[in-house]
Amino acid sequence: MSKEVIEQVVTYLTPNVPIVPISQGAEAFVFTTNVHPYNASACKTAGDIPVKYIIKYRPPKKYRHPSIDKTLTKHRTLSESRILAKLSQVPGLHVPKLIACDVYNGCIWIEFIGEDLPESHGFSNLKNFLWMYKTDPYNIAVEKVLFKVGEQIGLLHWNDYCHGDLTTSNLVLHQENGDWSPYLIDFGLGSASTLVEDKGVDLYVLERAIISTHSKFADKYNEWILMGFKSVYENEGKKGQQKLKDVIKRFEEVRLRGRKRSMLG
Amino acid sequence: MPYESIPQFDTRGVCVSLFRDVKNIEELRSKVGTMPFAVIDASCVCCREQLFSAVYKALIEWKYNRLRTKALHSECILSLSPTSNIGEAFRRFGIKEGTRNIICLAVVGKNETQTSELFDVVDGEEVELSDENLGSMFDLEMIKKVCWPLKVFQ
Ligand SMILES: Nc1ncnc2c1ncn2[C@@H]1O[C@H](COP(=O)(O)OP(=O)(O)OP(=O)(O)O)[C@@H](O)[C@H]1O
Repeated sequence: MSKEVIEQVVTYLTPNVPIVPISQGAEAFVFTTNVHPYNASACKTAGDIPVKYIIKYRPPKKYRHPSIDKTLTKHRTLSESRILAKLSQVPGLHVPKLIACDVYNGCIWIEFIGEDLPESHGFSNLKNFLWMYKTDPYNIAVEKVLFKVGEQIGLLHWNDYCHGDLTTSNLVLHQENGDWSPYLIDFGLGSASTLVEDKGVDLYVLERAIISTHSKFADKYNEWILMGFKSVYENEGKKGQQKLKDVIKRFEEVRLRGRKRSMLG
Repeated sequence: MPYESIPQFDTRGVCVSLFRDVKNIEELRSKVGTMPFAVIDASCVCCREQLFSAVYKALIEWKYNRLRTKALHSECILSLSPTSNIGEAFRRFGIKEGTRNIICLAVVGKNETQTSELFDVVDGEEVELSDENLGSMFDLEMIKKVCWPLKVFQ
């Protein structure tokens, strides 16, 4: 990770907030810390494990004009924060809680979700979880998780939000009473949207992600996800049925466009 | 005096106290704005997290010269509000007719020493600023009305 960016963050946070870098994406640097930004009583340990928080930092980009850069950073930071805050209030939908936001420095604090999978299978995102089951790919645990993943996306779309980057790393599994519960993370490209196109694209992006990492089992996996997705709409009566039809129809069209594009090379 | 710190703002401290059954609400109301601290109606605050998230937000705005009100203390009250309407924020989260329990809050420099008498003007029983005490004083219906504009709650 860029030393310069780490120094910026350390200066900004002061030595009172020690950080550990965990990821560098195209737009943001992600760190963990054990320090809560403002509620000291929340830092107490749960069992022996200290509570962790995520800090997501969007550094200034030197190639952009400084004032444009500031405006863009502010806009994106605010947009991701607003979406997270709104989505936390949707009953049944699982997203990490937004804790704090500094739009002037492109910094947000988020609840940490997930844990390390057993036997060094890595962090508990959907990608690693599916790899963990590669010798037992149709285990009921896998089916349950994928159905719930579908439900989460169904809930998101039913409430007229789209994720914009539905990869298997952006679905994180959190253990609750021995059951894995999927959370949606990274709303950097998320939006409020009533468009079936955006929803169709979300579904297609995830379908591609499943196919590209788990091609042998992808048919069944995508079927389970879609079952979960549909179940949310089907619970919403006639209106739900109609909307579901529209989304699925568009999803199939998006998939067809994708195929044509790849045939043309 | 109970003293809290916000890790990122290590030159500042937050003095904060919770008072129950305050007898001189009218006197305090007439002095609002001239006292060196914010007075918040405790019925609008359900937990410490809600209170300190507003203080954090106000400190950020203060540090980057983006205060929308005259001072850091009034900004803390504005930051409690989900809207940016200043008058509305004061009417809801500040003290008003009928207020009984209050939170007094001052952001001070780490080296300021005069803080022990800061809230002496308040005539009420001081109790611990705990989630439990706040939870017993707050008005859920009010919070619902103000803070949950999402369609799922309508
Ligand atoms: N709330 C969270 N809980 C646990 N881990 C998280 C959380 N948020 C982010 N991470 C970890 O940090 C990584 C990057 O975060 P995120 O996807 O939000 O950043 P990004 O810069 O948009 O990433 P990319 O550009 O790679 O999509 C995630 O893949 C995940 O491993």
